[in-house]
Amino acid sequence: MTAVKNFEPKIIGFLCNWCSYAGADKAGGMQESYPPNVQVIRVMCSGRVDPQFVLSAYEKGADGVIILACHPGDCHYKEGNCRALQRHTMLTMVLEQLGIEKERCRLDYVSAGEGEKFGRVINEMVESVRLLGPLIKNGSSTTESLRTQSK
Amino acid sequence: MGGGTVKIGLYFCNCGSNISDKISSNALIAAAATFPDRPYVQIVDFICSEDGKRQFEESVKSEQPDRVVVAACSPRDHEATFRRCLTNAGMNPYLMQMVNIREQIAWVTEDPAVATEKAIAAIRGAVCRVRLQQPLEKKLLEICPDALVIGAGPAGMKAALSLAEAGRSVVLVERTPFIGGLPVRYDELFPALECAPCMLEPLMGELLHGDYAEKIELMTMSELIGVTGFYGNFNAKIRQKPRHVSLHQCIGCGECVAVCPATTMNEFNSNASERKAIDFAFAGVLPNAPFLMEGVCLRSKGEECRACKDACPMGEEVVALEEEEAIVERKIGAIIVATGAGLYDASHLVGLGMGTLPDVYDALQFERLLSSTGPTGGEILTADGNVPTSVAIIHCVGSLDEEHKPYCSGICCQYAFKFNHMISAKLPDACITHYHRELVMPGKEARTLFNHAVRNTKSSLKRYDGIKDLAVTRTANGRLEVSSTGEVFCADMVVLCPAVIPAEGADTLATLLDVSRDSFGFFRELHGRMDAAQSTIKGVYLAGSCQEPMDIRSAMLEGMASVGYTLAGLQPGRTIEIEPITAEVDETRCSGCRLCGSVCPYRAISFNVEHNASNVNSVLCHGCGTCVTACPAGAIVGHHFTNEQIMAEIEGVLS
Repeated sequence: MTAVKNFEPKIIGFLCNWCSYAGADKAGGMQESYPPNVQVIRVMCSGRVDPQFVLSAYEKGADGVIILACHPGDCHYKEGNCRALQRHTMLTMVLEQLGIEKERCRLDYVSAGEGEKFGRVINEMVESVRLLGPLIKNGSSTTESLRTQSK
Repeated sequence: MGGGTVKIGLYFCNCGSNISDKISSNALIAAAATFPDRPYVQIVDFICSEDGKRQFEESVKSEQPDRVVVAACSPRDHEATFRRCLTNAGMNPYLMQMVNIREQIAWVTEDPAVATEKAIAAIRGAVCRVRLQQPLEKKLLEICPDALVIGAGPAGMKAALSLAEAGRSVVLVERTPFIGGLPVRYDELFPALECAPCMLEPLMGELLHGDYAEKIELMTMSELIGVTGFYGNFNAKIRQKPRHVSLHQCIGCGECVAVCPATTMNEFNSNASERKAIDFAFAGVLPNAPFLMEGVCLRSKGEECRACKDACPMGEEVVALEEEEAIVERKIGAIIVATGAGLYDASHLVGLGMGTLPDVYDALQFERLLSSTGPTGGEILTADGNVPTSVAIIHCVGSLDEEHKPYCSGICCQYAFKFNHMISAKLPDACITHYHRELVMPGKEARTLFNHAVRNTKSSLKRYDGIKDLAVTRTANGRLEVSSTGEVFCADMVVLCPAVIPAEGADTLATLLDVSRDSFGFFRELHGRMDAAQSTIKGVYLAGSCQEPMDIRSAMLEGMASVGYTLAGLQPGRTIEIEPITAEVDETRCSGCRLCGSVCPYRAISFNVEHNASNVNSVLCHGCGTCVTACPAGAIVGHHFTNEQIMAEIEGVLS
């Protein structure tokens, strides 16, 4: 897929309150800029991220979704991040069937101390989605199938 | 809630220039006119300052908005602050949504135009979300401030006495007939060779007869068999086996013991000495009262013996021959698990002679051999009654061993060097050989005993790589031989230091209490460092070596830590506040599949068979929302993080 010129992807980031959201705050405290393309939705636990939130994000115009969780073993709620991982694995299989590349839905782990990693992950995510181009192109089959599937 | 009917107050904090340098409030004011419900916008300089909070509160009081959005710093910093402001202003605090435009936008976005655009989108999301937020109330729960302590070893005794001193009633349940746990059976303790009973007796005396003893209900020979309820309101069911001797009336004279005609082997002396059917567990035991062993007593063989009862100088009622098992129930608010540890069965390590060769002992057996209340009165003698001239001590038996227990048991090196000191004091001519893999002696005091062993000319230390390199055999002349990769040493006695494991019954207790255990069977902490005295179930605390191998010092400290949680959380006359951000099942939509219960990490979800529906206990729920996502019927609402609220926020930031 070729990148669309001057394409700025819209990305939704689901961040768990305890590790990743704190990691994003840490990145803020370091005052190092990163691309502005990710809008953060705070949830208490990555285990709360419902696959329908991800589908809804695509439907409402997101080109990518990133779910950030506590590192395995560090979950504030013990194992919510493992649930998130299970659901993510299943979801990417469904997305591929819908013609949505798995790079558009990334799960990663950012701890409260990893401000630098947060910036790096955001950079990587934005660049990989930028390369894929917009998710919804007028009249494309992807748009249609997504709209049908996620209703 | 239709368009235009909700009055939303949007408060924008400049944070000095931290936010205003990057995000234009004027652009926001213009954009707000296009947001749903057209929120009014107020600009505040430092909304978290005293002036700012006053300004915020007064504005909320006069404007009377239905919902509030605060665009400022991270909610991790000040969500609680602004919730308090709303409460002060007479508004439900959960009708507010914060937008983190400082840490996550202003500070990390180069171009002010881009930052402003991003902030406007984020605030639009919050406005869309806050419209759907509902007022929530903290629930208040009446509690019982008293506690159940399971296990009367160092940790449990310390916890029970401290709670009693704080005025709480305590039920102290102990499985054996005595208190003091494992160390009360030892003669001397590392690191300072302090006499164990002397060290523990003041604590045990206080517990039994001190100023606060009446607050402690001690149940010996008892165990927990059922628990219902939850934090603050547990009901415990306890089985009391018959002791047949009244703890309150017995004076410990032993007249009954003297006349008892039936004998058996004494398990509290590693079955190395005899006891009567009615007897003390060992000399000097507390409570100072014997107990009668059913099955050994002639009466359980159909004979009409009542020698003990007749011999008792305190009257008819002290020895209760017909006493039966009793089940009692107690209401408590917290449970402290202090069930202690045991030793890994060294016979699992084939070739070390445990259980097959005489004069091969594990550390607990050897402690009794050294003890003045033990089977030999403290004399170190071989099975043949001889004084050993050479003793081998094998460290790391089953510890640091992937085939057995991969962890270091932490305490063994220290007691092994204590053994060295005690053996050389009793038998100055005996040679002592330590076989070790690693030497672990942390802390400021531990090295003294090690140094003594190193300086002891009769001792030697030999390092081995794997336990399979060692073999203990018996020669034709009856002596033991320890061979280590080709080298052979003769010994008259071999002491094994096996891995420390959870005490027997930890599995049953964990099931009863619904608390998790780790892969080694120890009780799992809520957090290994931050909350190491809390179990995974609210109101169930952990103390001592039931959670990992531990010395007495740490066990006592853990006992105190568990008391700290109990006292801080449960205060007489005070209700506990339950956070309203929890999950709730809509019974009418629940299909009864029970998936939610299987994903809940806190066992907060029970199943009501009658209603064929799951039920979330809001006291136990931590509000993670995992069950909300798992529910295939969409029957669970995650308060304050509902599907509708999150979807509205997604739509708002993207539109």
